[in-house]
Amino acid sequence: MKIPTAWSLAAVVATAFACAPLARAQSSAAAAEATVQPATPVANAPHVLPEEKSWRFGVGLGYGERSNPLIQSEDIPVVVDLDIAWFGERWFFDNFDLGFELFDHRRFTTNIVARVNSDRAFFGKTNTRFVNFALTAGGASVPIPATPGASFGQPMELKVPKRDYAVELGLEMLLDGEWGQSTIRAFHDVSGTHEGFEVSADYSYRFTRGRFSVAPSVGVAYKSASLSDYYWGVHADETSPTLFGYPVDAGIGWEAGLKTSYYLTKNARLALSANYERLQDSVADSPIVERPYVLGYFAGLAWQF
Amino acid sequence: MGARLALLIGACLAALPVAAADAPPVRLVVKPLLCVLDKNSTACTVTFDIRWKSTLAGEYCLNDEALPAPLRCWPRVTSGEHQHQRLVTQDFRFWLTPPAGAERVAEAKIEVLRVGSTDRRRERRSRHVWDVL
Repeated sequence: MKIPTAWSLAAVVATAFACAPLARAQSSAAAAEATVQPATPVANAPHVLPEEKSWRFGVGLGYGERSNPLIQSEDIPVVVDLDIAWFGERWFFDNFDLGFELFDHRRFTTNIVARVNSDRAFFGKTNTRFVNFALTAGGASVPIPATPGASFGQPMELKVPKRDYAVELGLEMLLDGEWGQSTIRAFHDVSGTHEGFEVSADYSYRFTRGRFSVAPSVGVAYKSASLSDYYWGVHADETSPTLFGYPVDAGIGWEAGLKTSYYLTKNARLALSANYERLQDSVADSPIVERPYVLGYFAGLAWQF
Repeated sequence: MGARLALLIGACLAALPVAAADAPPVRLVVKPLLCVLDKNSTACTVTFDIRWKSTLAGEYCLNDEALPAPLRCWPRVTSGEHQHQRLVTQDFRFWLTPPAGAERVAEAKIEVLRVGSTDRRRERRSRHVWDVL
């Protein structure tokens, strides 16, 4: 898919934001010979909530990015965000998570879920670079980028090692109330890829006022040494003069985010979201990691069908 | 290419007066048109600003889908304005009719959007890196 330029997309989003008030202003033409009547209170009889559809299909169009913490990598552009989900009596499919509801209690719901680990996504956007070496005063070799005309010897390949997707199986507990909503998850690799596990918890609260909705969130995740080392470490068979071996320990990372929506109609909204994820310290120190964080944002129009 | 573009723009401009001539004789404008309910809310209390305008003077009555009788009727005028407060729990319509007829000469639909779900599974947050919504 061809990715439109940031400027053209920014123009589309800006136009959408600009048109919304115009559309509303159109409806404000006053009737000339009108008289204002006092308010008439009408109480509706309570009614049963409409049954929700099994399928949920949504699409977001706009512009956003998810930064890539790896060296020699490209940020991940987000131009289209699809939301596809199906909810049966107990089985559900939620954007490639396959789940089965085990318990549905008044205060919480427990599901068993199979998912694909998302750390792998960063490894699909990496490049190979060729570097030369310079000796430091201490005698250590330091890679420097190869440039035409440089005379430091034969350029050597520097690339991020390949990583595979992992299928993970685990339990999740969804809790909610007037205090907000929270999720506790524990997942273990069942595909023999990293053979590690992850335990995470997050909390969010949604404020809704008029057509506007804001949902801040925070979360923490503990990733085992096996999982962290598989994705973010440099293994013995991957070491080279350009990449020294580095084992990654288990550790705790955290994240914070904000999702805002302005509802234009029942199906369309303007969406603005941002998310910051801090990688755990041991991952941040890896030679294949350039930035110790992942920063994501998106602004655009979203439709829900 | 330039001639085609000019022709297209000309055709669009020529169509504008036609579109205006096809506008309905009575225009009903209601604000707001959307009630956003959070998961813990059951109804919006809304004061609707209802305005209508007609190209021809006439007698019109304003109706609320939830009420058997008209909210208000106007004598022979070309425009009207009314404020109406009510609880909104589901989609409904306001419409205008002639006093002695059932024909709807203009209508406006008020929609209710429920943000959130009573099914917790539909509220689960995805941790996929590409998920931004």
